[in-house]
Amino acid sequence: MTTTTAGETSAPSAGGGGTSARRAGGLAAATPLDRGTPRSRTANKVILAVGLAWTLVPLAWMVLSSFKSKTDVTAPTPALWFTPTLDNYVGLFTGANNLTPYLVHSVLAAGLSAVLAVALGSLAGYGLAHTRMRGKKHLSFWIISTRMAPIAAVVLPLFLIFRGLGLIDSIPGLVLAYLTFDLPFAIWLMSAFFAELPPSLEESALVEGCTRWQAYWHVVLPLTKSGLVTTFVLCLVFAWNDYAFALVFSGPSSQTLPMAASQLVTQTGIDWGQLCAIGVFVVVPMMLAGLAVRRWLVTGLTLGAVTGE
Amino acid sequence: MTPGILLLAPLSLLPFVFIVAMSLSRVHLLGGVRFDFAGLANWARVFTDPDVGMAWVRSLSYFVLTVGIEMVLGVVFALCLWRLLRGRNAVLSLLLLPMFVAPVFVGLLGRFLTDSTFGLYAWVLRHLGFETDVLGSQGTAFAAVVLMDVWEWTPLITMIALAGLSSVPLSIREAAALDGTSGWQLLRYVVLPSISSVLLVALLIRSMDAIRYFDIIWVTTNGGPADATKIVPVRLYEVAFRFFDLGYAAAIGLLMLAVSILVARAFVRLLDRKGLAR
Repeated sequence: MTTTTAGETSAPSAGGGGTSARRAGGLAAATPLDRGTPRSRTANKVILAVGLAWTLVPLAWMVLSSFKSKTDVTAPTPALWFTPTLDNYVGLFTGANNLTPYLVHSVLAAGLSAVLAVALGSLAGYGLAHTRMRGKKHLSFWIISTRMAPIAAVVLPLFLIFRGLGLIDSIPGLVLAYLTFDLPFAIWLMSAFFAELPPSLEESALVEGCTRWQAYWHVVLPLTKSGLVTTFVLCLVFAWNDYAFALVFSGPSSQTLPMAASQLVTQTGIDWGQLCAIGVFVVVPMMLAGLAVRRWLVTGLTLGAVTGE
Repeated sequence: MTPGILLLAPLSLLPFVFIVAMSLSRVHLLGGVRFDFAGLANWARVFTDPDVGMAWVRSLSYFVLTVGIEMVLGVVFALCLWRLLRGRNAVLSLLLLPMFVAPVFVGLLGRFLTDSTFGLYAWVLRHLGFETDVLGSQGTAFAAVVLMDVWEWTPLITMIALAGLSSVPLSIREAAALDGTSGWQLLRYVVLPSISSVLLVALLIRSMDAIRYFDIIWVTTNGGPADATKIVPVRLYEVAFRFFDLGYAAAIGLLMLAVSILVARAFVRLLDRKGLAR
């Protein structure tokens, strides 16, 4: 079995990643695919080195450029050696392009939508994982197609609805907009995490006299802590990185960090050093959060269809 | 489960009802939102408008190129990582980083790197003998936005494929090795077939997101030059928020929705067939 979810936990954990498998049987180290000839091993490393360079050069260049002065950033010959300056970072919080309000908006909009999505999504996901009601299939399908609906198609009706309700250019508006994809994502993913728990655990809690709510709160939730954290992080990343919704729904009192970045792009010229500094500022926290839940990322990003390591 | 569903229902169904209504109307924004019933006028336009037709063709080629390259590169990287005995997790972590970069920054970074006067990649290209403004001419601009998407999303495929590879049963590999199978044969007849369903999941997940996002194009070329990168969602934003023809945009949007629902359907079917339905 390569794909697993729902109550089939034994299969993936037996796989346990190549490393543990190799540890288990010494024979595996001798298979051609693991070691290969010295030449193929070198080829292997070369491909990975090229892949790493392709992946990391743009990021490294962004970080380097964020420490460059205006003249160094736009020097016709890209320079690796330059006198580093913190001007771009200082400029983020002083002067005309003060980032603080944007940061506050981003934290509020992304944070609140992620918290709400996880809180409501785990409840609904728990229900979805356990219900035997008719039409469950249709319900799940509806949830996943809501998550996957093209942003451009969702923005249009929301634009009119938000105009009517006065939610344009407001944090609640953005939170609601983000919930349109974060909430179905959280419901679907949490139900995948819940489905992996053995039902006997919860049953015994009920037999012991717990109410359904107590069983959920004291038994089930603590066991899916990693699932909760993963769902939260992914919801946060999706909302934090959003641009398409913010472009239409945000205004002076709700603009988020990606909007701040795009506003530095003007007809008269772009302050690339400053832009790179904002980039570092926006990107690094999400990378750290993402890597913190790396073990569950596969499960999270495949909506529970593939279980990893 | 009720509170979540109760919130999702208005968030999902109400917009759906609205967009259907919009697609059948002329929508007036000034002096209060007003819908004037327009019958199937918008729908007739969607299927006859050559601009939208071209946008679909470009969307399709953008989709095939990005997702195709991502699948191939992703699987190659996953195989290489799988064969790596030491440092696999560290390398994987580094490879995954682009996934967390906001797409708008992927686009801006792409612009920065390909800027014809001071861009790092433009400089490299110049020294290789290609003196072009990458985002300025049609072919290279299209290639550039494809590669930016590939940069961001190949790691997702790598990660999923590696998860599949890690669960290829040891015994199968041992048996094949004892039979004297060569590395290529092992790959072709043992390894790839056993991760095929995982790869299908990766393909479907990536496809759904590829239909969703357009941020990269929006901040790099904005559909240009000369419409070379104007894929459907970009066209939709233009129709809706530059020309304020919301009814027509709604019809375009509903068609996009139909496509993504077809993909979602395939995804759920796949889970069903594997007995993974919930």
